[in-house]
Amino acid sequence: MTNSFTALVFGPGLPVTGTPALLGVEGDTLEARLAGGARRLTLNLPTLRLREVGFGRRGIELAWTEADGEWLVHVLDPEAATQVTGLRQLADLSATAALLTRQRAQRRRRAMGWTTLAVLGLAPLLLLALLYFQADRIAAWAVQSVPEDVEARFGRSAFEALRGGLSLRDEGPEIDRVRTLGKQLTLGLPHRYEFHLAQDTAVNAFALPGGIIVVNTGLLQATQRPEELAGVLGHEIEHVEQRHGLQALAKASGWRATWALLAGPWGGSLVADAAAQLGSLKFSRDAERQADAGGFDRLVAAGIDPSGMRDFFRRLQADGSFLSTHPSGAEREQHLDQRVRQLGGRRFEPLASP
Amino acid sequence: MAMDVIDYEIFGDDIQYVEVELDPGEAAVGEAGAMMMMQDGIEMDTVFGDGSSQAAQGGLLGKLMGAGKRLLTGESLFTTIFHNESSSKRRVAFAAPYPGHIVPISLADIGGTFICQKDSFLCAARGVSLGIAFNRKIGTGLFGGEGFIMQKLEGDGLAFVHAGGTLAVRDLQPGERLRVDTGCVVGFQPSVDFDIQYVGKLKSALFSGEGLFFATLTGPGRVWIQSLPLSRLANRIIKAAPAAGGRSVGEGSLLGGLGGLLDGDND
Repeated sequence: MTNSFTALVFGPGLPVTGTPALLGVEGDTLEARLAGGARRLTLNLPTLRLREVGFGRRGIELAWTEADGEWLVHVLDPEAATQVTGLRQLADLSATAALLTRQRAQRRRRAMGWTTLAVLGLAPLLLLALLYFQADRIAAWAVQSVPEDVEARFGRSAFEALRGGLSLRDEGPEIDRVRTLGKQLTLGLPHRYEFHLAQDTAVNAFALPGGIIVVNTGLLQATQRPEELAGVLGHEIEHVEQRHGLQALAKASGWRATWALLAGPWGGSLVADAAAQLGSLKFSRDAERQADAGGFDRLVAAGIDPSGMRDFFRRLQADGSFLSTHPSGAEREQHLDQRVRQLGGRRFEPLASP
Repeated sequence: MAMDVIDYEIFGDDIQYVEVELDPGEAAVGEAGAMMMMQDGIEMDTVFGDGSSQAAQGGLLGKLMGAGKRLLTGESLFTTIFHNESSSKRRVAFAAPYPGHIVPISLADIGGTFICQKDSFLCAARGVSLGIAFNRKIGTGLFGGEGFIMQKLEGDGLAFVHAGGTLAVRDLQPGERLRVDTGCVVGFQPSVDFDIQYVGKLKSALFSGEGLFFATLTGPGRVWIQSLPLSRLANRIIKAAPAAGGRSVGEGSLLGGLGGLLDGDND
């Protein structure tokens, strides 16, 4: 190996900014030839001290002491530095081994430092992603700890707030039909259910936490047989049983809190409200699917023909008349149809027509 | 590649400009926007990247890399080359962008490489390459006042960088350490170790006004320190600017506060 490496030499009598030199192998030792060719320095190998130097500490310093003082040779180019430490004359020195160990430890520390920095930087994003994908589960978990009487009180106050805007028709044969069916479906359930009829041509029904279910007259007119009404009621009761209302609320307020946390003083409450509204506008698709499935089981358990549920959703989908709070979908209808088929030719007692 | 040897003259006291004399065929590279005036016969040519790779290594990729590095150091994608196309000596002048001093650095004298704060490059002989030096020490990058990216000037010609306020040049013996307020480091030889040090006492950290850390420079090698980082000057100016929400302080005129009302200069 006849390589020589560009180096800077510092020593007694030399300028403090260093003197350019070439470091090369000379027999069993190393020699630094100073620029100008006037001086050749022989490195005192046994007493050599090695240190990492340079910006980013990627170069090496070879230091030794002579009678006139301390001499330093800097090899700053990282590649050259690696080659120098690999030279036969240096490789056996314990100082070299110590340097390499130190460099390895430093690399490890640095990698760890950068990783920590990256994790810290990404943590909010990761948390947000986790929140987003686990929002349903987190909301369900949060809702578990809400006692039922609190839920009922909450539903009651929501109902009182809504009541002014609804023209309720809580007398007459129509509401009696709803109540009879409802009672049949909610037999033995812990919530105290109550059913209301609202004068509204929109085909819709909704459930409040705690067991208040409101059916529009428009929906009542759209049903062709009692089994269809039972299907809708089963669906709404299931929303109550699975506490979807509270979950949606928990999710909305969770997003609001997250937004406030992230945006700080810049997050206007307007934006927060808009975001929360968007979240609570409808139950999630999953919630609807769960309500369908649970409602279906409820109907079967109560001995009511569940094909009414399917027929009603199918017809609504064809009309496209269901409100946005109950997004209809081909997938939902297919799902119900499949469940009906699975029942095979099971016979149900038809419900008495009004 | 051979550097162009250029003669220069620096004018001004605290707001300076440097006039570079180019022999026929010689050229200098300048930071975009730094040119102040030039004589007849000097042609200006704007190149992508730092202009040093023209003869050495061409190729689109090399040019893109060079330009990308310049973008990282906060400078423009382009540099301008000023070459003397006449048959006699011609001069071109480059001006400093804010009060301070222009530092001529002969790269050959300091081993060929100079590490300086980004943004400080003014002009150089053609052939000096402008690169980045990435600071791999996290602590120094975060708290050293210079960020993770510094600028590296390589070659053996003359380069001019600009520093704020008054300049101090110190030659550090091996192992000699200088503690510097963060942000005051202009540049150093790469043999110098640039690190940070905790100020030591909580009371000092909170109330001395020096911040949590000093920058430390350890020899051997030469270091350049500026007395007034631009950001500090800018901070004071903003604080004193009524239009930016600062407080207007009376200048002690004969009319006192009334003077402010009468001179019609405050809105």
